[in-house]
Amino acid sequence: MRRLFTNTTIDFIGVRKFAYGLTAAFFIPGLILLLVRGLNYSVEFTGGTLMRIRLEQGATTDIGAIRKGLSDAGLHGAEIQQYGGGGEFAIRARTAVAGTDVDNTAATGDALKAALNGVIGEGKFQVVHLEGVGAKVGGELRQKALLAIFLSSFAILAYLAIRFEWRFGLAAIGATLHDVLGTIMFISLFKLEVSLVVVGAVLSVLGLSLNETIIIFDRVRENEKKRLPLDLPGILNLSINETLPRTVLTHGTSLATMLTLALFAGEVIRPFALVMFFGVFSGIFSSMYIAPSVLMFIRDKWPQDPTHSKGRAVTSKVATA
Amino acid sequence: MSASIRNRLFVIAALIVLSLWGLRPRKVEQVRTNADGSSALDSVTHYGPKLGLDLQGGIHLGLELDQSKVVSTDPKRDLQLALTVLRKRIDEFGVAEPVVQLQGDDRIIVELAGETNPEKAKQVVQRAAFLEFRITDKTLALEKALPAMDRALRQLGVTAATLQGSAAAAATPGTPNAVSTLLGGDTAKQADSLDLGEGLLSSLIRPAGGPQFAGMPGEYMVPEAAADLVDSLLSLPTVARELPRGLTWRWDPEEISIGVEPFRMLYVLEDRAIMDGTHLRSAQAGIDPLTSGSIVTFELDYSGGQTFGRETSRHVGDYMAILLDGKVQGRPPVINSAIYNRGQITLGNKPMEEAQLLALSLNAGALPVPLKVVEQAQVSSTLGTDSIRQGVVAGAVGTLLVVLIMIGYYAFSGVLAVIGLFLYILFTVGALSVFGATLTLPGLAGLVLSIGIAVDANVLIFERIREELALGKSTRIAVDEGFHRAMNAIVDSNVCAVVTALFLFQFGTGPVRGFAVTLVVGTLASMVTAIFVTRTFYLMWLARRSPTAPLSI
Repeated sequence: MRRLFTNTTIDFIGVRKFAYGLTAAFFIPGLILLLVRGLNYSVEFTGGTLMRIRLEQGATTDIGAIRKGLSDAGLHGAEIQQYGGGGEFAIRARTAVAGTDVDNTAATGDALKAALNGVIGEGKFQVVHLEGVGAKVGGELRQKALLAIFLSSFAILAYLAIRFEWRFGLAAIGATLHDVLGTIMFISLFKLEVSLVVVGAVLSVLGLSLNETIIIFDRVRENEKKRLPLDLPGILNLSINETLPRTVLTHGTSLATMLTLALFAGEVIRPFALVMFFGVFSGIFSSMYIAPSVLMFIRDKWPQDPTHSKGRAVTSKVATA
Repeated sequence: MSASIRNRLFVIAALIVLSLWGLRPRKVEQVRTNADGSSALDSVTHYGPKLGLDLQGGIHLGLELDQSKVVSTDPKRDLQLALTVLRKRIDEFGVAEPVVQLQGDDRIIVELAGETNPEKAKQVVQRAAFLEFRITDKTLALEKALPAMDRALRQLGVTAATLQGSAAAAATPGTPNAVSTLLGGDTAKQADSLDLGEGLLSSLIRPAGGPQFAGMPGEYMVPEAAADLVDSLLSLPTVARELPRGLTWRWDPEEISIGVEPFRMLYVLEDRAIMDGTHLRSAQAGIDPLTSGSIVTFELDYSGGQTFGRETSRHVGDYMAILLDGKVQGRPPVINSAIYNRGQITLGNKPMEEAQLLALSLNAGALPVPLKVVEQAQVSSTLGTDSIRQGVVAGAVGTLLVVLIMIGYYAFSGVLAVIGLFLYILFTVGALSVFGATLTLPGLAGLVLSIGIAVDANVLIFERIREELALGKSTRIAVDEGFHRAMNAIVDSNVCAVVTALFLFQFGTGPVRGFAVTLVVGTLASMVTAIFVTRTFYLMWLARRSPTAPLSI
């Protein structure tokens, strides 16, 4: 039997002060950066035109030449990105103004193409993806994305309150929001573009982090029923240690698939995979430190009714124990 | 073999058969556009789930009611009407597996897989297709009104001199003058190249006619270069007021060459339409045997035919303009005798394809309110093919890594989990097919990701079994307990995963919805394989051995 991290007795809770320090070290600069720099939204959110082109065999150009060509044609401030071994470019022109519909951005697409014909040569490149979004649509989408994150948090809180107990639910949500916020900072730090796919990744991080917290809390729930001679930090420590092999294994396999996605699945999926990759680490960290700490804090403030914590069957024994 | 194992195997076999049935090849019709512009249907064989636009290429359009010109009194109802009309049009358009659906309460999503021409697609969805017939003016109303119109223009300060002045001003940006503010810089700029007389409109608008070209009452010719200018001048309220009540003017959008000069035809028409497209029963594209130009023949329903007959019999000898979306279609024909329920629209030398699109739009009915495109995406099929290839490579490498980790760590039990994993992939893709879900690029990524996450339930169970074995329990009891004790954690975490995915579905559009669907289906499938399928394998293994034989885990 191959074993990793089995029967460990690491004092996770004891060193949580260091974890707080780590969180602070990431969150304080992260928040400042987020507020100063903000997020780099994709055209889906801001409105505008995205064009992805692929050079035909033998054609060459570079970002500088494209930028100059576009500026000469009066298309200023377009964002140009080169990828796929140099033969592909993504050009983002955010020219849609509030109140205009997409015909404006479609016209931008035509203008882009005309300008590129001048730079690269007509027929020497292929437009593989063209997307135009009106500004109003983009604005709505941003609201909807935030709404989705908040509503799903509440739905999960309700579910956990029924299955566990509201204190657990609140602690899990606390840990999850830590991860969502941390992930958004990560996105800002690495200047990743916030596209719909990336929002999907953030919501998946929310799901994965919750999953991790639930596995630990499930153990806590079970261990509390055993009436071990341990206080809450002791039970938390025990539960985290007991679930450690599973944490290592499960995240080993999920990180493996995220890594292959980042490496092989192309330009659109890479940010998604990177965000998830960060989210998994954040999720493990928050499940081990943030969720238990919040739980300890809540239990301290609002002590639990003993009839709930020890299970109904043993209520009478609890009084004497 | 016990009955319970046999039943379990039967269920697994049924799931496998169902998944394979979902993945069976199916014929799909696809539009092919030939070099000459005509289109034909190709039959293509597809396997597996329906692919999203981002994976097979195509056009996505997001449409909303355009209330800038017409204000809808009941937007909900109009949107529903528009949806019905669009469905009919898109069906006749003949794209494979088109999507036409409401999104939220104010948007219609149209997705045309395999279609490559966004202009053609937009034309099909945006054409209002409002057909009407109007009689041209016989009273020479415009000729009579022109001097008064020119006087009104002079009072506004618009003269040949100020127009050409504003053209010069428009050439140097930043110094707009009154005229260019009134008419817009571009329109004013046109004036530069024109030969303008003292009476502005009088010099630009002439009754149609000339050598070898007979005009008709209410028909005027305007030099092509001046058309936009004349249009904006006529639109000025003080000018428009001079045209007698009950009359209106419309353009023929096509230019006509008379001699060497290009002209555009302006028609003064009665305000009241004698018939409109609501009585249209069917329309068909064809070729006029006499001129070999494209035509659209149409048929009206009974009551429409009656009205049309009555109206046309009163107007024998008059000219009748056919308007589509407010634009005159070709030169108005003369009414020789009463027309009942059949007629034709002449498109002249426009391509046959255009006649077909027009017939298609007329058949599907008119849009209640014009639609505007608020989002548009267009993906080439090469990009889609590449995305699939990259996704499959990532999936294969990811699966290989997961297989290595699981077998390396859990040995024999890992092999059972891996068999379960392959069934998981089969079930997920099969279920996506059976339920008609669309696999998008994010969905494909979600699928690959889920391969890594799907083994989580197995890991939870295996770790529990190990713990029970460590407590000294026999293999059989440890396996039972392991499955039993892991259940709470598996259910709770999977329910939460499904909840987040459902919210994601609710908020997202096309590709992200695909991702959410894949997550939900994948989560459910992973529960089936981890809890049911792997358990069955264990039961089979245990049935052949003594209860205390050691388990490789």
